Amino acid sequence: MNIIEIKELKKDYLLGTTIVPALRGVDLSVAEGDFMSIIGPSGSGKTTLLNVIGCIDLATSGSVIVGGREITALNDRQITEIRLNKIGFIFQTFNLIPVLDVMENIEFPLLLMKKPASEARKRAEKLVEEVGLKELTAHRPAELSGGQRQRVAIARALVTNPDIVLADEPTANLDSVTGASILELMRRMNEIEKTTFIFSTHDSNVLKYARRIVKIKDGLLEKEPAAV
Amino acid sequence: MKLIFTIAWRNILRHKGKSLVIGIILFTGAFLMTVGNGVISGMAAGIEKNIINGFMGDIVLMSDAQKADNILLNMMGSSIEPINTYKSIKEILGAQPYVKHFLPVGKNLAMMLSENSATPGYAYLLGVDFAEYRKMFPDNFTVIEGAYPAPGGRALLIPTFARDEFYDFYNTWFVPEGGSLIKENLKKEALANIKNLVVSSSVVMMGMTSGINTTNDIRFPVKGIIKYGALNQIFGHFCLVDIDSYRECLGYFTAADMAAQVPKDEKKLLNLESADLDSMFGGEAMIVPDTKRAPKIKAAPAGEAKTAGDGVYNAVFIKLNGGVSYDDALAKLNKALTEAKTGVRAVPWNKASGPIGGMALIIKSALFLFVTLLFCVAVIIIVNTLTMSALERSSEIGMMRAIGAHKTFIAGMFLGETAILSAFFGGSGILAGVAAVRVIPLFKITTANDMLQLLYGGNYFSPLLSFSGIALTAFQLLVVTVIAALYPMRVAVGITPLDAISRD
Repeated sequence: MNIIEIKELKKDYLLGTTIVPALRGVDLSVAEGDFMSIIGPSGSGKTTLLNVIGCIDLATSGSVIVGGREITALNDRQITEIRLNKIGFIFQTFNLIPVLDVMENIEFPLLLMKKPASEARKRAEKLVEEVGLKELTAHRPAELSGGQRQRVAIARALVTNPDIVLADEPTANLDSVTGASILELMRRMNEIEKTTFIFSTHDSNVLKYARRIVKIKDGLLEKEPAAV
Repeated sequence: MKLIFTIAWRNILRHKGKSLVIGIILFTGAFLMTVGNGVISGMAAGIEKNIINGFMGDIVLMSDAQKADNILLNMMGSSIEPINTYKSIKEILGAQPYVKHFLPVGKNLAMMLSENSATPGYAYLLGVDFAEYRKMFPDNFTVIEGAYPAPGGRALLIPTFARDEFYDFYNTWFVPEGGSLIKENLKKEALANIKNLVVSSSVVMMGMTSGINTTNDIRFPVKGIIKYGALNQIFGHFCLVDIDSYRECLGYFTAADMAAQVPKDEKKLLNLESADLDSMFGGEAMIVPDTKRAPKIKAAPAGEAKTAGDGVYNAVFIKLNGGVSYDDALAKLNKALTEAKTGVRAVPWNKASGPIGGMALIIKSALFLFVTLLFCVAVIIIVNTLTMSALERSSEIGMMRAIGAHKTFIAGMFLGETAILSAFFGGSGILAGVAAVRVIPLFKITTANDMLQLLYGGNYFSPLLSFSGIALTAFQLLVVTVIAALYPMRVAVGITPLDAISRD
């Protein structure tokens, strides 16, 4: 069953009076539980594609169905609810809340969902253990290394049991060893939590972790290379 | 809610510099607002105590023929129309449950004639029944020289302020009958001139009205020198005289009334008992009566016993019972007076007092404006600082939105930050303001300036804060907080997840 169905997706940006097409008619289907990588050079449109799938950006035209719901016609409140309940995000720059410690950062989405504090804590404790940060729960982001921060971000992305986790170049700010461990962790979490992972990268070294690779160039998907 | 306040509180600690700037503004604003409200309340209380309770009551009755409501400190020479229906008014006032006390008074200007000066001076006279006056205003002044006048007979009480003025004008220093010169009470200039000081215990006054200048020049014996407990430089313009002498001075007795005062055997001698005495001074060759401008004073019917209370007055001062609605009382009183065709109207004290009420209102408005201005400055600075803070945190806010935070959460976070700062720093400012308001009266700060005395609400600067005053300040602080947080909130909720990513 496909968790994502995209048809004829176009996204244009307006730079002054110039229209810059970022996506020029993308068709994509993603199966539930997939571990997929979108690759392509800088400016190819991979981040834009992830943003549209993640309800962070709006499509100019086309159809985007996430979890069986057409997202192009939703209002801000509905889109926010989808981001909260259906999607987990992992950002290139980690984007943790600086004033919250590791445990609180992981709990944060659950508290936004108004889950009871005890339930949120229990779920966060499970994930913090899974990402290997049990000893650092009381640390604030500023006290963590890049790899540790990204682990927190992964735990936070998974804490709500989302349908999809989107990761935009999650290893870009990490050294190769740490990056590899993060991808390893993501794949392991994909196996444990059965969550669909889509991550973008332009680093060919990380492709070996993906079960499916989608290549994008100039706003259009190319023929998919064989999965590793 | 707990999450919002946790994040808000930690953000405050994280941005200590900005938080401190906002905090200092809030502290200063709340402090000044509290003190400002205290000054306004103190002024209102002082006015109530000193003007309403100590000089003219809550409401003043005046003749319908009186054009301007201001009858107390009106332009020199502008006369106050007489009221000759006091008997009916008295009955009406006595029947009103909201009326606590009332006092009929004569009030007009008199020309002071002096043997020592070719130029006449002027004095404001308040003609009263001294016994009734004391009941109405039991402790508004102290007699510092002489004594409170005994019932009956002519009497004049001169306030210290007026005595100083008279000295400047006449070169005469007034002392009470039988009194001696008290050096300590002498004005500086008088003390310097003590060897040649002209001292007098009486003064000749001639009442003045714009209708007629009465020819009754009355020699008033000075019975006492008084000092008002507060606002002596304002109330001190008014010399208190007995009502009978006042009427005589102002010409408020008709010729027939005058005849009534002549002993019976002298009337027989003069064969004037039934004559119209006015005709003696009439005659076309001498005076043409100005019936249009002259006050329409009814002569008492022949044989009717006249008492001081039934005669002519210019105003009636009324004190209301506590807890009654002022506007209601005023409306009811006016209705009753109109229905009874008394020819008078009830006017609020602040209108009747003219410049006093006007200045009190101006000062109050100026203070209010100052506090409002303070609000605006505080709001602008806080808005600017918080907006900068919102923009600096675009990435963080955008990320929160990306992972599912609703706009209301972001707005709540900003409001929470401002609320915490307001509660802590603003609350401290209010407490400091309350402490200042309590401490300031202990210094007994005084002023010789009339207008500042109004601001002070009395002789000493006595700001006053009631619980409701503190609540008002807290409410104002709340308004500042909400207004100050509105625009930054709007900026913050306008930040999209895409903004956060774009900034990265």
